[in-house]
Amino acid sequence: MRTIADHLFDILENSVNAHASKIIVTISFFKHIFLCRIIDNGTVANLNNVTDPFVTSRKTRRVGLGLPLLKSTVEGTGGHLNLSRLERSSGTCLEFTVNMAHIDARPFGDISSVFIDALRSWPGIEFEIFINNAKKEKKILDTVELKTMLELDIIQDMEVLNYIGEQLKKALFKIGINQQFGVS
Amino acid sequence: MKNLEELKQIKERVRRNLEMRSGDYRVKIIVCLGTCGIAAGARQTMNKLAELSAQSNRTDIAISTTGCAGFCEQEPMIKVQEKGKEPVTYGHVDIAAAEEIFDKHILNGQIVERYLFSKGE
Ligand SMILES: Nc1ncnc2c1ncn2[C@@H]1O[C@H](COP(=O)(O)OP(=O)(O)OP(=O)(O)O)[C@@H](O)[C@H]1O
Ligand SMILES: [Mg+2]
Repeated sequence: MRTIADHLFDILENSVNAHASKIIVTISFFKHIFLCRIIDNGTVANLNNVTDPFVTSRKTRRVGLGLPLLKSTVEGTGGHLNLSRLERSSGTCLEFTVNMAHIDARPFGDISSVFIDALRSWPGIEFEIFINNAKKEKKILDTVELKTMLELDIIQDMEVLNYIGEQLKKALFKIGINQQFGVS
Repeated sequence: MKNLEELKQIKERVRRNLEMRSGDYRVKIIVCLGTCGIAAGARQTMNKLAELSAQSNRTDIAISTTGCAGFCEQEPMIKVQEKGKEPVTYGHVDIAAAEEIFDKHILNGQIVERYLFSKGE
C-alpha cells in the first residue's frame, strides 16, 4: 500500500465482503492526527486476532492481508487500530489513527478518489461521509439523500461522480487533508 | 464543475445516459481490487480505464471490480469479457498496459499477448 487512500479503499472492501449495505465513514484530522472510523451494517465475523494474517474468512487465499498491513502502517507512526462489533445492531466498527507528522507516515494520497472508486465499484452500497475537525462534525456526502435530490436510482455517472469528487476534495482540504501531506 | 442546481438540471440527460449504459454491453472490464491488487496499484489501473472509457464516448463498455482471484503475484489483473467471446485475463496491468489493452483489445478486439495471463474462465 502506497498511501492512506489505498488502505482506506482496501478496508472498505472488508465491509463489502461482509455484505454491508451501508457504510458510514468519519474522517478527522487534528494536530497531525488522522482519525478514521468506518461503521458498517454487515455480518459480524469473529474479530479475535483479525490483525493476524492467518485469520481470514476468505476462500481464495489462506491469509488475509488488509488488516495486518494497515496495522503496521498505523503502528509505525505510533497510532492505534481497533475493530469491534456494534452493540445495538449488526455491524462492525473499525477505527484507526495515523500520526501524519511521523517520519514513517505514508502520504494521504487522494482520499476523495477512494470514495469515487468505492461508488463506482459497489453501486449497491450507500455511503455517508462525515468530516470532523475536533470542533464540529459535518456530513459531506449522503448517497441516499443525493439520490433523492437528483431523483436518480443510481449515481454512477461521470458527471455526478465528478461533482461528488470535487465536493469531497474541498471539504477534506478545509481540514488540512491534501494529497501532498506526508509525502517524503 | 457543476453545482448541485446544475446537476438537477442535467438529471434527465444523466438518466438517459445511465439507462443507455445499463443495457447490453459489448465489453465488460473487470478489475481485481482485492488487497493484493490495491497494493500493486490496481486503483490507478481502474481509474485509467474509467477515464479512457469516458473519453472514448462509448456507451457499450462497462467497468466493474472484483476481489482477489488468488494469483496475487500477477496483480494488477483485469479480465476483459467481450460479448460472445471467451474472457481474457491480463496480468501486471499498470497504467501503460491499461492504455495499450484499452486501445487494442477493448476498442479493437485484438488480444495483447504481452500481458496475457489466461483465456477462458
Ligand atoms: N468490516 C468487517 N466486517 C466483518 N468482518 C470483518 C470486517 N473487517 C474485517 N473482518 C474480518 O477480518 C478478517 C481479516 O481481514 P483482512 O482485511 O485482514 O483480510 P481479508 O479481507 O480476509 O483478506 P485481504 O484483505 O487480504 O483481501 C476478514 O476475513 C473478516 O473475517
Ligand atoms: Mg481485507
